[in-house]
Amino acid sequence: MPDLRPFPALAARKPLASSRIRLSALPEGTILQMIAGPQTPGPVDGLERLAAKTGLALRAISPGQWLLVGDRPTPYPQACRLLAALEPHASGIDQSHGRVRLHLEGPMAATVLSKGTAVDLHPSAFAPGHTAATLVGHVSVHLTRLDAEAFEITVLRGFAEALWDDLALMCAEFL
Amino acid sequence: MSSHRLPQGGLIDRSKPLAFTFDGKPMQGFQGDSLASALLANGRRLVGRSFKYHRPRGILTAGAAEPNALVTIGSGGRTEPNTRATMQELYAGLAARSQNRWPSLHFDIGALNGLLSPFLGAGFYYKTFMWPAAFWEKVYEPFIRKAAGLGRATHQADPDRYEKRWAHCDLLVIGAGPTGLAAALSAARAGARVIVADEQAMAGGALLSETATIAGRTAPAFARDCAAELEALPNVTLLTRTTVFGWYDGNVFGAVERVQKHLAEPAPSVPVERLWRIVAKGAILASGAEERPLVFGGNDIPGVMMAGAMRSYLNRHAVAPGRATAIFTTNDSGYALARDLEAKGLDITAIIDPRESGGADYAGKARLIRNAVVTDAHGGRSLSAIDIRTGGRTERLAVDALALSGGFSPVIHLACHRGGRPVWSGEKAAFLSPASLDGLAPAGAASGIAGLAACLADGAHKGASLAAALGFAASPIPFGPVEGDAPAAPAKVLWSIPGVRGKAFVDFQNDVHHRDLDLAVKEGYGHVELAKRYTTSGMATDQGKLSNINAIGLLAEARGVSPGEVGTTTFRPFYTPVSFGALAGAYHGEHFQPVRRSPLHGWAERHGAVFVETGLWYRSAWFPRTGEKDWRESVDREVLNVRNNAGLCDVSMLGKIEICGPDAAELLNRAYCNAFLKLPVGKARYGLMLREDGMVYDDGTTSRIEENRFFMTTTTAYAAGVMNHMEFCAQALWPELDVRLASVTDQWAQMAIAGPKSRKILQAIVDEDLGNDAFPYLAAREVSLFGGRLHGRLFRISFSGELAYELAVPAAYGDRVAEALTEAGQADGLVPYGVEALSVLRIEKGHVTHNEINGTVTPGDLGFGKMVSASKPDFIGKAMLQREGLNAPDRPRLVGVVPLDPGQSFRSGAHILAKGAAPTLENDQGYVTSSAFSPHIGSTIGLALVRHGDERHGEDVTVWNGLRGEFTAARLCAPVFFDPANEKLHA
Repeated sequence: MPDLRPFPALAARKPLASSRIRLSALPEGTILQMIAGPQTPGPVDGLERLAAKTGLALRAISPGQWLLVGDRPTPYPQACRLLAALEPHASGIDQSHGRVRLHLEGPMAATVLSKGTAVDLHPSAFAPGHTAATLVGHVSVHLTRLDAEAFEITVLRGFAEALWDDLALMCAEFL
Repeated sequence: MSSHRLPQGGLIDRSKPLAFTFDGKPMQGFQGDSLASALLANGRRLVGRSFKYHRPRGILTAGAAEPNALVTIGSGGRTEPNTRATMQELYAGLAARSQNRWPSLHFDIGALNGLLSPFLGAGFYYKTFMWPAAFWEKVYEPFIRKAAGLGRATHQADPDRYEKRWAHCDLLVIGAGPTGLAAALSAARAGARVIVADEQAMAGGALLSETATIAGRTAPAFARDCAAELEALPNVTLLTRTTVFGWYDGNVFGAVERVQKHLAEPAPSVPVERLWRIVAKGAILASGAEERPLVFGGNDIPGVMMAGAMRSYLNRHAVAPGRATAIFTTNDSGYALARDLEAKGLDITAIIDPRESGGADYAGKARLIRNAVVTDAHGGRSLSAIDIRTGGRTERLAVDALALSGGFSPVIHLACHRGGRPVWSGEKAAFLSPASLDGLAPAGAASGIAGLAACLADGAHKGASLAAALGFAASPIPFGPVEGDAPAAPAKVLWSIPGVRGKAFVDFQNDVHHRDLDLAVKEGYGHVELAKRYTTSGMATDQGKLSNINAIGLLAEARGVSPGEVGTTTFRPFYTPVSFGALAGAYHGEHFQPVRRSPLHGWAERHGAVFVETGLWYRSAWFPRTGEKDWRESVDREVLNVRNNAGLCDVSMLGKIEICGPDAAELLNRAYCNAFLKLPVGKARYGLMLREDGMVYDDGTTSRIEENRFFMTTTTAYAAGVMNHMEFCAQALWPELDVRLASVTDQWAQMAIAGPKSRKILQAIVDEDLGNDAFPYLAAREVSLFGGRLHGRLFRISFSGELAYELAVPAAYGDRVAEALTEAGQADGLVPYGVEALSVLRIEKGHVTHNEINGTVTPGDLGFGKMVSASKPDFIGKAMLQREGLNAPDRPRLVGVVPLDPGQSFRSGAHILAKGAAPTLENDQGYVTSSAFSPHIGSTIGLALVRHGDERHGEDVTVWNGLRGEFTAARLCAPVFFDPANEKLHA
């Protein structure tokens, strides 16, 4: 039987680390995009319950849209159930392979990101748990603050290496 | 040349000597020197030649407005021409070179221009080089460019790193002089997020050159303490060596930080310059005021210097201006200089004050000449004497240094960057910033306030009130009494000086003198914008920072109106020149634009693909094999192999959109011109999307995966556009429809498996039965692969015209699946094929792409007229498609074209002429949209859009390539060269 191990988009990129900044690729686990219908204003029933039950983290990426993310892949039958779990209020779309998550951490993390994004990253304006759709340099991403000095950057798979290379350049002075 | 360095004092570090060279001559300065102060300390006065007359020039200012002391520093790719010596920090090993001189700075042949100056006045070029027109580009312009000019840029690549970043704050303080420091501290102590930017290496501004004391502390010590407190506050960012160069919409400020421009060898991992975009809730413009020169003969001779600059070199850098100094001042600031010079034991020959009772408080020893002006300065490369006129008498005094002060102009450039016009104040004899500025508050000297104490108070007040307006409990900080403050009283306005004999320069950098402006007025160019262009006053790299005000004053006098009536030219970013490196940031070379990689990139690479850039994607173009001599040989082989066996092609770049929700089918039905409402689950359909104007926008297949879940594909080029279009349809046109859209382009690795043996090969990895009955043409379903180890989506669709499938698998598995298929297909002759072969296959089959869908074609033009639904109540483009012109019988329509002689060829873009017609635009009947060599037909084939094309199959025509002068006899035919009955598709 052929080798069917998945091929991570950032397999060729080694993590960068110093006391001031660390850049790494998060495991390619689960990313489910949940989109509410236009007739469902505000929070979707059961969304947070679903996140809690599955152990997936919730990222609010735009009005009526969320990502459910986690480090472990979800097996196919279970993923199919999850995608349909909130119907008819919201539809699920599997993006586990369509998006790649990067992890940027360290005392200089916000400074590094400010070289790419116009989002105000001061903790008073962008607290842990907040997500913004923004550009990092020329690449569209979803940026989430995980805690004071840690960020998750979710990017289209095809741009993952280009984004990594841009971020590596932005990190260079702190490595 | 002897040392002008005073034995003590100044903010220089005498324990850190720095060796540098000027035009190769070794010199020495100290840490804390600017290149200008170090040159002056070494007794070096002549530092450059002027732009037009090549006059000897020295150092006029101590700041950003310097028009004369422009030098080239660095070497190789780091060569930096036109560096202002006044702004360049000295570093060990700095090598500076003078500019615009030949063969040497001391003996310059171009100075002959000075002798020709009676003929080189304003408008000279316009009047002289009128004709013949052809001479302008070939003779005049190269000649003028060679003779006039500044430093030369290098052609070598810049080896250094640049970057951009964003910053956000409650309050941006522009300038860290007394006003800025007071404002920043008053806001920062209350907790506001403050950014302070100052162009100098250390905060302090005018305080660094000041001898007054503040609450008993010296001014530099006060500045140091303020800066230390600001740096220690976590809510403050103090940026030195940073020039705020522009004010933009949204209260965004542009600034450039010279991170490593003061170092001989910049650290490679750190940028040399950083471009800041600062988003500020409020901003204080504490940019100070610019001292005005006075317009008398020889006012450009080295040794003539602005009074404030002389004071700065004296107090900050401990440099004596000369042995015998005169001061020509129209206001009291000249007396502060006199006081400081005398305190250091230096001789003042005279103070010349045009006011009747100027210098009433002056208690020094110098001779004070009131009601007097300097009419002319003398000396070639260094000042030797001045002529002073009092009443009707002229007196010549021997001096080697002359300080000038013609009053002060608030530095209001930034305040005018968003369209506001400066306002003339008769009381202050200056242009002030526009009255209402939302988000930017001029303060201190920048708002016309004079004196250290008043500036501190104004800064503290405005900083506190802006912070308070943002909700911080801020109050103005009292800084204590100021001793020795010398506010410059409003200057006596002195635009033109009577009795001048020599050239009286207004714009030093562009060599514009008083008479040029008079000439401009006389010849009808008295409007400030016309005078600027006629004389070039204010058009140099300094943008007239020193000269514009005098030019306006002189124009006002010549026209007999007030300066307010003359007005200013328009202020625009940048305040001072910004390097292209900083503007480009990190985005050059391989970082110029992001690369988008297909999940099958690695597979294609391993199979030897040659890649081609398609937008941001890298697509495999063809897969050469050993022994193949050119790309055509590879492509022909790939095409024939697909027709005879099977091929595998990466089509992951196609746009993919998942459309869910109970109204998904309805949305598709309205977005496509053909019907989608009743597409069965498990089926794909070709869809044609129109724009509102009835023209075809994009095409692709859309499959119904579940009752309320569709999978749309778009062309690669229009993937983002179609996604935007669909979102617009859902959100803006029909918000009542319950649909949910997501781009899934990157989720799926998608591969086309085409050719008569494709079913057999695919069956090796697909668990479900792929027999023609079980999985017919246009079937589209989720499938299980490798015995249930993986799931994907399989579509029986064909771009090549062969029995073909597209298989989509989650992207991370794409590489392995493509490899498994390549292996499984080896026995049946499966080989990879690229977009070139894909293109040949589709032209043979007559499938259109954006070559044909060029934005001007209707469905009917492409032969899709019957696809357009007649029964749907509405779809995008329906109404406009009925327009007469879109249904005209003579519209260009899709047709095939083949050369009569298979040995002959033609190219895409060539035009179609009726047989025997003359090659003129009038006879043009259409053009070849796509062409390729078809191994199946054995000749070049083409698709073309030709008038009445669909009715002219079989007609002989001429294909005309006007660019290459090629004519090919050809025949129009049906636009399908392969399997017109579609038997292969259904096989």
